[in-house]
Amino acid sequence: MSWLDSTVVRAMIEAALVGVLGGVVGVFVIARRLPFFTMALTHGTFPGIVVAALLGLNLYLGGGVFGLLVVLAVVVFSRARGQDFTAATGIALSGGFALGVVLVSAQDGFSKDLTAYTVGDVLAVSTSDLVITAVVAAVVLLVLVALGKELLLVAFDPVGASAVGLPRAVLDFVLLAVIEVTVVATVPALGAILTVALIVGPAATARLITDRLALLFPIAAVVGVVCALAGVGVSTQWNIAAGASIALFVGLAFGVAFIGSVLRGRTAVAGSNPASDPVSA
Amino acid sequence: MTQQQSRTAALVLDKASVAYGHIPVLEELDGTVASGEAVALIGPNGAGKSTLIKAILGLVPVVRGRIEVLGTTPAQARRDVAYVPQADTLDPDFPVSVEQVVMMGRYRKIGWLRRPSAADRTAVAQALEQVGLSERARHRFGTLSGGQRQRVLLARAIAAQPRLLLLDEPFNGVDAVSQHALLDAIAVLKRQGAAVVVSTHDLSIAHLACDEVCLLNHHQFGFGPTEAVLTPERLRATYGGHALELRGDRVIVTQT
Repeated sequence: MSWLDSTVVRAMIEAALVGVLGGVVGVFVIARRLPFFTMALTHGTFPGIVVAALLGLNLYLGGGVFGLLVVLAVVVFSRARGQDFTAATGIALSGGFALGVVLVSAQDGFSKDLTAYTVGDVLAVSTSDLVITAVVAAVVLLVLVALGKELLLVAFDPVGASAVGLPRAVLDFVLLAVIEVTVVATVPALGAILTVALIVGPAATARLITDRLALLFPIAAVVGVVCALAGVGVSTQWNIAAGASIALFVGLAFGVAFIGSVLRGRTAVAGSNPASDPVSA
Repeated sequence: MTQQQSRTAALVLDKASVAYGHIPVLEELDGTVASGEAVALIGPNGAGKSTLIKAILGLVPVVRGRIEVLGTTPAQARRDVAYVPQADTLDPDFPVSVEQVVMMGRYRKIGWLRRPSAADRTAVAQALEQVGLSERARHRFGTLSGGQRQRVLLARAIAAQPRLLLLDEPFNGVDAVSQHALLDAIAVLKRQGAAVVVSTHDLSIAHLACDEVCLLNHHQFGFGPTEAVLTPERLRATYGGHALELRGDRVIVTQT
């Protein structure tokens, strides 16, 4: 597999994989209003990756375990009486990131600098990283196809889902776990800070383009892939940070879609919802 | 509908008390709703109407007494029970079309890992027609008016072909056209033999659509035929100081 020996080819494949994954999973993240939770998750995996690096373990394993702890902490804390999901998420976000920084700073002569963990390095992905991302992408897509309609009902009408006997807690956990493995698979390429761009951005962009659920997934996936490939391309051409380039392209795509949406009258910048139809009450 | 079916009890409340954790919400409810009949749950806000509906769905525990749904426990009866939430409790920005919402009523029949069949799509189309919104099938749910969204949610329940239909304040903020469409669709379901439980604080709805009334304010202040139960005395008792009497036989509830 000589073509996989090329750093740029590996980076391109990784970028395309996380682009599809982030785009598709992002549709659920946007629909469930979980971008802030995803942000917390990316920061929550950070100490895990540092610990794994210090102990010489697999970075995915470290990030995965810590991400799972964040999911559990947020769920337990937000279920406690009088606590709010956003507060729990905010604490997990800052706490996770702070722990990562403390671990890095406490380690004398730590060989890798903090930047690689915070903004990632898609040009450094190995063939085994690629395999892990491909497997994660395949499993996540399979789960979303298999449980699509149940996840949709829980997202749209949680009480209605319970009323027909769907195991809401299990389905919620499945969705959070899907977001978690997506984050863990994306962090090595984009880093703890920039991963959220590729999970939230393409889906938010797709949401500006269409209202139709069936179209949201392919549009978000295409936006994710195009931004990721463009970012890697620009990065190798002019030797600038790849993760940041990808995040900038996502921002650009969202900006263009937003302006297009305003021009088409789909999005009101201020004031009432133009979609409501006052004629046929 | 045969005489036998009309006598079948769809819902039995037997000295049922319902609580959230240690906080009692409803105490000692008693009553029966037969198949093909409708009961209105009437009482002020916070009286426990929604909690009773959730208890009938098996989502809130019965701590004393018993609630029997379609001859079994609430949890086991879910397959034949449909719940219609208040439309404004659902996210209007959610990217889902009207027909997708109605299809959700079929999920239970479709089952895990399976996709909707032609029969499911036919059921969805028929349910939308029954609430008069066929031409809106492809529109996004959130673009419809409040009353139309409520009709879509009723269509979702109709698509599930329930034997017991539970509606939580379906007439709140609903325009006259939609109210009419909702009442018509509920009447059709009743004729087909479904029992209906509808919470409302609109007394005229109870007179129009319901055979029986359950007056609730944590306790039961009456359960029986609408004309017999909706008396000024009982309404005053249910609503406390917030009921005004008009000409001796009519009552206006001043605060819900």
